[in-house]
Amino acid sequence: MVTPADIAREAVLEARQLHKHFAAARTGWRRRAASVRAVDGVNLRLMAGEVLALVGESGSGKSTLALALLGLEKPSAGRVLFRGCDMAGTSARDWRQLRRQIQMIFQDPYESLNPTMRVEQIVREPLEVHDLAVDQGRICAALEEVGLRPAVDFLRRYPSELSGGQRQRVAIAAALVLEPAVLLADEPVSMLDVSVRAEILNLLSELSRQRGMAIALITHDLAAAACIADRLAVMYLGRIVERGPARAVIENPQHPYTRALVQAAQAMGAPLAGEAVWASQQNGCRFYNRCPLALARCAEADPGAVEVGPEHCAACWLVGANAQGAPREL
Amino acid sequence: MNVWEQLRAHRLALWGSGMLVLSIAVAALAPWIAPYDPHAPLKVGIDDIFAPPNALHWLGTDDAGRDVLSHFVYGSRVSLIVGFFATFISVFIGGSIGLLAGFVGGRTDHALMRLADVALVIPDLPLIIVLVALTEPGLINIIIAIGIVGWSGTARLVRAQTLAVKERPFVLRARALGAGTARIILRHVLPLVLPLMVANTVLVLSLAILNESTLSFLGLGDSTLISWGQMLHFAFTRGAMSAGAWWALVPPGLGIVWVVLGCTLLGQGLEQMLNAGRERHHLMKEYRQPPPLVPARSSAAVLEVRDLSVEYGAEGSRAVCAVDGVSFVLERGEILGIVGESGCGKTSLALGLLRLLPPGGRVVGGGVWLAGHELLTLDAAEMDALRWKELAVVFQGAMHSLNPLRTVAAQIAEAIGRHEPDTVDIAARVDELLARVGIAPERGGDYPHQYSGGMCQRAAIAMALACNPKVLVADEPTTALDAMVQAQILDLLNELRRELGLAVVLVTHDLGAVARICDRVLVMYGGAVVECADREALFARPLHPYSQALLAAHPSLKHRRGPLPSIPGSPPSLQETPPGCRFAPRCTRAEAHCRAEAPALRRVDAGQMVACHLVDVAAGQGV
Repeated sequence: MVTPADIAREAVLEARQLHKHFAAARTGWRRRAASVRAVDGVNLRLMAGEVLALVGESGSGKSTLALALLGLEKPSAGRVLFRGCDMAGTSARDWRQLRRQIQMIFQDPYESLNPTMRVEQIVREPLEVHDLAVDQGRICAALEEVGLRPAVDFLRRYPSELSGGQRQRVAIAAALVLEPAVLLADEPVSMLDVSVRAEILNLLSELSRQRGMAIALITHDLAAAACIADRLAVMYLGRIVERGPARAVIENPQHPYTRALVQAAQAMGAPLAGEAVWASQQNGCRFYNRCPLALARCAEADPGAVEVGPEHCAACWLVGANAQGAPREL
Repeated sequence: MNVWEQLRAHRLALWGSGMLVLSIAVAALAPWIAPYDPHAPLKVGIDDIFAPPNALHWLGTDDAGRDVLSHFVYGSRVSLIVGFFATFISVFIGGSIGLLAGFVGGRTDHALMRLADVALVIPDLPLIIVLVALTEPGLINIIIAIGIVGWSGTARLVRAQTLAVKERPFVLRARALGAGTARIILRHVLPLVLPLMVANTVLVLSLAILNESTLSFLGLGDSTLISWGQMLHFAFTRGAMSAGAWWALVPPGLGIVWVVLGCTLLGQGLEQMLNAGRERHHLMKEYRQPPPLVPARSSAAVLEVRDLSVEYGAEGSRAVCAVDGVSFVLERGEILGIVGESGCGKTSLALGLLRLLPPGGRVVGGGVWLAGHELLTLDAAEMDALRWKELAVVFQGAMHSLNPLRTVAAQIAEAIGRHEPDTVDIAARVDELLARVGIAPERGGDYPHQYSGGMCQRAAIAMALACNPKVLVADEPTTALDAMVQAQILDLLNELRRELGLAVVLVTHDLGAVARICDRVLVMYGGAVVECADREALFARPLHPYSQALLAAHPSLKHRRGPLPSIPGSPPSLQETPPGCRFAPRCTRAEAHCRAEAPALRRVDAGQMVACHLVDVAAGQGV
């Protein structure tokens, strides 16, 4: 689902019909195992200077998607394009070099930094890995940019001597020191305290605006996403069910799942019953078994994404052109 | 803490390393310590053979009239040299194989580990004997033989640790940076495997020394060298036993025991250091401080906590005050939220009133009254009885609090059977409980891993309800769950409160959870309550600057573009409590008075209390 407006701008990183299926672990003596479709036909375009929030519950495939975009998971099908170049045949070595351009920060700042390395070594490591000139100034500049001032106070410290927010800043500094074009942030604030959360979100927002960095914010927290995202994509069981400008999606959610997420974020209404569970025999909409508005048609066929507003699409039989009859693929 | 300080704190390791250092010193200083040169040619008289200890020969002489003490001192050299070099070989081979197998995994791992299994099954000593017998008996051959036999234990240990380390997120992060395999192994995995390898190395060393002694004793050593095993060999084969010359046997024997004991102690000590905190389970040593006995004040209250204070820290060292005089009253059917950021003491408060504090934590003041009992004065058995029938707990991450090897229904049945053995139809009660929390009774026969996170949390709640408690303490019950499932679990708690009159203490950092179900909220900061208010009052009119900042920083869908308000600075360190208001260093409106004197909790109106100098209590005005 690529809108004409998307094509007008150049995407830094793009996923086209990306699939990643895992063979489920065999249980007992049964040899046949259904595969889990963690990412199932995702199209995504990440532009320079924007924050794209990828929102979904655990198991929606959002983290797998990030790892596939980074080449750490080999896609089962589909393509990843960096600045328009297809990365399909890229060797492991070339991917490693490419990671200078695409950096990632992880959820758990307590575990994602090596406890035996000092802050200086942590921020220096990416430069060494990519054979770049290692100079103290560059390291300090990165630390100060993420708000660890004065940087010299932090250089000799170990992660255990830092607070959670400071650790996450160090992780961001280690990503920034390479001056990447894309930053994938996988739940960067979910382990942090509320008072610190805002600072990290503000920092990410600034980076996209001032440096023109393309940032993908992967989160289960719709409210956090709403605060800094330009565009929002809602994932459910491996598919993007709705996407569009952040304000449009939040103020005028079209997909029933998005509506439920918005309500849950406002502590309103009854939550959806059940949990997101992938039923492999299911042909229809994956949200069918939890959808409060499901029709007979929803069980039979998977709805395609249709435009419901400017640059705003949703994949549901009840919205836009889908509701009028013939499904239209965008 | 540096290595030296750690050593001092661990007696075993200190003794062990002392013993080893002494042996090494003896070996190194042999020419100066030994009264005679053992290699010098001797003129021997008949009296010199097996002479008992005397002024000339402190440890007597052996069958050839040689000085035992000198031999003993020089003998330590060979024993230690063989030990150290053989150990180096073993650990190097074992470490490399373990790292490779653990990190690469798959077929490589499979092949290498089967090799290790085979090596482990073949008895060491016969193999070494065969190896030595096949080659020329010489120092280097002995070292190599002992060295290449002893690798399998190290390999297995290193592999296990590597498997654990490579799954840690910082390894994934290194990969995401673009680092290659060699760099990841050397910079990220090895440093975390190394401490364990060091502890293991010491144990391998003692084995190597024992092996060397055994070989020499059996006569397979290099006969031109003096070693402790060699001394024993000669003493035995040349009649020291029949001559009653104990002095020829005891010193080398004691030397071997000394070094091996030193290694073992050091190894044990190092292991303890690395696994600090696993010494004793915290339930076994619970601190109890009988507080003054005052009966509960409120009669409607099911749980009353008064002036509860909790400290951490070993006795003697400087204590850290985690909870400082917190009081609250919980009524039947009420949900009280305790909110705050990490380190504010909310979990310590919950664990303190449950008497489940981890090692080093203790209640140092205050009281907890539940159903007419003063919890802090009960003994362990009485507390256990109350814990299920009156007071139940649900923790974060229910997946880990259920036994993975037993079905959910069996675990709930066990809880009922143990605490209410009179129950007639336990199975019916289990089904009722499962239905109560929204799990279809037929899923009771499933194992916890077949449940999703939300269902595990439901099962944990069902188990907590097994004996109809009056109070449920839920510590971050929804933290690891998805937004939608969080709301489901919170709604379940709300329903239980309405239908069973259950009183709930909900410990959480999530203001959204508070907004959804709590009647009243305690806001904690730096171990103390800064504001206590009804939910509506707190959200409509937070009075404490911290409550205000916390609410403002909470991301909301209504937020318009522009930076989110945040609280500058970082949460207070509990070691250094500022003299005045704990929030003063981060408060934008703090005055001199705030930094000098800690504010007390004052009542503003029926539904709200606040601890802030800047709030005008009479007018009920915030700042």
